[in-house]
Amino acid sequence: MIENAQLISLSRQIALQRQTDVVANNMANINTTGFKGEQVLFEEYVMPVARDRDFPRLDQPLSYVQDWATIHDLSGGAMVQTGSELDVGLNGDGFFAVQTPAGERWTKAGSFQLSANGTLVDASGNPVLGEGGPIQFGPEETGILIASDGSISTSAGQKGRLRLVEFTDPQALTREGNNLWAGGTPAAATGTRAMQGFVEKSNVSGVAEMAEMIRVQRAYESAASLASKQDELRRSAIQRLGDTNA
Amino acid sequence: MKALYIASTGMSAQERNVEVISNNIANMRTTGFKKARAEFEDLLYQQVTRAGSSTSDQGNMVPAGLEIGSGVRTVSTPRVMSQGSVNMTERELDVAVRGEGFFMVQLPDGRTAYTRDGSFERSPEGELVTSTGYTIDPGINIPGTATSVAISPDGMVSAYLNNESVPTQMGQLQLARFVNKSGLESLGDNLFLETAASGPAQVGVPNADGVGNLLQGYLEMSNVNSVTEIADLIAAQRAYEMNARVISGADEMMQSTSQLR
Repeated sequence: MIENAQLISLSRQIALQRQTDVVANNMANINTTGFKGEQVLFEEYVMPVARDRDFPRLDQPLSYVQDWATIHDLSGGAMVQTGSELDVGLNGDGFFAVQTPAGERWTKAGSFQLSANGTLVDASGNPVLGEGGPIQFGPEETGILIASDGSISTSAGQKGRLRLVEFTDPQALTREGNNLWAGGTPAAATGTRAMQGFVEKSNVSGVAEMAEMIRVQRAYESAASLASKQDELRRSAIQRLGDTNA
Repeated sequence: MKALYIASTGMSAQERNVEVISNNIANMRTTGFKKARAEFEDLLYQQVTRAGSSTSDQGNMVPAGLEIGSGVRTVSTPRVMSQGSVNMTERELDVAVRGEGFFMVQLPDGRTAYTRDGSFERSPEGELVTSTGYTIDPGINIPGTATSVAISPDGMVSAYLNNESVPTQMGQLQLARFVNKSGLESLGDNLFLETAASGPAQVGVPNADGVGNLLQGYLEMSNVNSVTEIADLIAAQRAYEMNARVISGADEMMQSTSQLR
């Protein structure tokens, strides 16, 4: 069963490589507005082996490592004051809704801009949705004020309310890039506060990711050394057993 | 092993970030300068296992998918167009804008540029020009005989000529505003150009039309806040270092693979 030992350490190495990719992505996005970190979950994959009741001791089942999911760490990021009236940080579980060509998407990145015709848009230019569709500002309006419940007013009066959504199972959301999330069944958010003049920073903790990186790296090295030890073991076994006494 | 490339996107994004911050700090004392901010977005995700795919005939499904991201990109560097503090200079041709508006400047190539820098001068012919020497649009000519120039909050330029006791009106300063000020293109020399993203300029008279009003004898300072810039610089530098550490970690992992026997 020496080959099995090598295959098991190979499964460990492949899973660890993927985990490095996830750590690297978290680290690359350490300054991305509204970014939420990811963590890889592993599970044991038990391989059925030949069983024979005649053996004095039963065969041990083999267990491989499999990475089966990444979970979103949805804890809040630091709120940083920017002083820009179109920056909105969300304090709570809610997401903003934006309209993309592919349909509605959700985002935590509240660094908004105005488009040339006065529509409130996100950093990629997708319109931000209010409860009655995209939010439009007229050319003469000044003094945009966003209240903590997301309602927007300007010098021209009430402009509607930002659509804030939350999900019963946010882990089922998928990431699309561009700070957007897709899927899920949106419900109106309760208890989420919008903070004007703030942006929510990435919730990735540099220290934790660095420690994770070192841990992954060492685990990878020990799996690699296990593989080479197994190889040595097999070679000496072949040498010993193949040595015929002529 | 995508980690190498993912971490390199992180390093180049932080490099861009430091470039933006250093330009802000370099322009800390530039009249009418508006600070920029680097905005980042995550890149595409590889869906290894999709959330919600079924794991059995009984309808059990994967509660959370396996997603591997591919890094970060700098999406934009919007300018923060907040009001800078006004500083008293006591020069009669220094004008600060309080509010949304921009002065209009005639470029030598015929285009119109926009600026918040109101440190004006007089050309040899008496034209009101910017400190680079470009004429203000609409043009205002102040003859050599004028003694003291007064600019009212609503943009009326008047001067006393030939020791007369009543001031003579020389012209009206106008201001332009934009729906999306952050969408203006920076030209350097404190000038901005209109773009498709900014929307067309809406020209108005100060104190009306929502363009703000003028303050003679004052200049608008830059809106760069040194404390937040330095804090951002430290954060960017550390993020750069940590991404570099990920690259060396991934490199060591590959090294231990290549040393397998």
